Amino acid sequence: MNPASNTNRNTAMNNEAHERARRLIALAAPGTLSVADRLSDQPSSNAWLAAHLEICASCRTFAENAAQTIHELRAIPIAADRTLVSATQMNVRLRARELQRHRERLWMVSISCTVVTLCALLSTVALWRGFEWLGARAQLPASVWQVGFLFFGAMPALMVAILLLARDRDRDRDKDRDKNKDRDRDQKNGLHLAHHPGSYQG
Amino acid sequence: MNATAFYFDSSMAQESTEIARGLRRKDPDLLDRLIEQYQHRLLRYLIYLTGRRELAEDLFQETWIRVLERGHQFNDKFAFSTWLFAVARNLAIDHMRRKQPASLDGLMSDDNDEVPFDVPATGQPSAFDMSLRREQTEYIAAGMLHIPAEYREALVLRFQEGMSLDEIATVARVPLGTVKSRIYRGLSALEPWLRGAPL
Repeated sequence: MNPASNTNRNTAMNNEAHERARRLIALAAPGTLSVADRLSDQPSSNAWLAAHLEICASCRTFAENAAQTIHELRAIPIAADRTLVSATQMNVRLRARELQRHRERLWMVSISCTVVTLCALLSTVALWRGFEWLGARAQLPASVWQVGFLFFGAMPALMVAILLLARDRDRDRDKDRDKNKDRDRDQKNGLHLAHHPGSYQG
Repeated sequence: MNATAFYFDSSMAQESTEIARGLRRKDPDLLDRLIEQYQHRLLRYLIYLTGRRELAEDLFQETWIRVLERGHQFNDKFAFSTWLFAVARNLAIDHMRRKQPASLDGLMSDDNDEVPFDVPATGQPSAFDMSLRREQTEYIAAGMLHIPAEYREALVLRFQEGMSLDEIATVARVPLGTVKSRIYRGLSALEPWLRGAPL
């Protein structure tokens, strides 16, 4: 066998051994909670690590440094100050109240929807019967009283649509009137854009 | 040993169930208690995650609001702290995404050498020991801000929060092997900082 390749293989194996040992050291570092974690790779890992540490000074140093690093890491104190905690508690309470109000509103809306749906169903049935009866009394063909029923049913929606349209038209008219008033006022004060001598930037 | 482990397991499960119930009710008293209980741990995690105290404090508040809003999503099979840290982590990543499309890498504070926390003297024996110890703690604190955020997070969760590898994997949403690698690489990256800033 070639002695050079033998040496290379030994070095590679050594590197692998160091890498494995250091990984085990990092995972089995002092103070970590779970013993199961430490032995999760292989049951014999700890024994192997102990044997490796006996012969490997650099891994021993790594183990000592790792322990020291973890110790220092735990020594860094970070504390939340009282104002942050109080402010957070207050914000959370405010948000909780807001969510509660939202939930209550949603509850009211869903109850209202249910009641309205039930009422609409009942009144539709009653109205249908009423129109049917009237149609029979007046000896009208079914299509006539049915059209009458549809018209009567659509009446509230039609009324609301007409009212909304009227309101929008009024609003547009008011806006136009306000615009005209502003223009008149500007013209009176000589501030109308058309009469401005130059740039407003300057 | 087994009896003790069983006792701790069952009491933890009971605690998680109670917390889950309270969170579903959006109980503000429970949240007050949880904020008190987890204040230091959560802030510490966020500071290490973001490297900036002001940002960590903002995220601290946002985290608890999110806990209130999404409390019903908490699964009582897990420890509350695991879920809490996962919520905080998601918020931190969301924050970074809003600023720039990045993952945890974006949380590295390259431009800021200032340590976002105070390092008090620890150890009692002698003034020299105390000053040496304080110095080393300062070095490690500084080193923490110079290693990749993923390593920093793994180290904090492992050695400060005492989380199991599985819990860290749950919080960081990475495979167990990645967690192990991050811990190993994080410790290796911090090693030179024990003696001061590496060249």
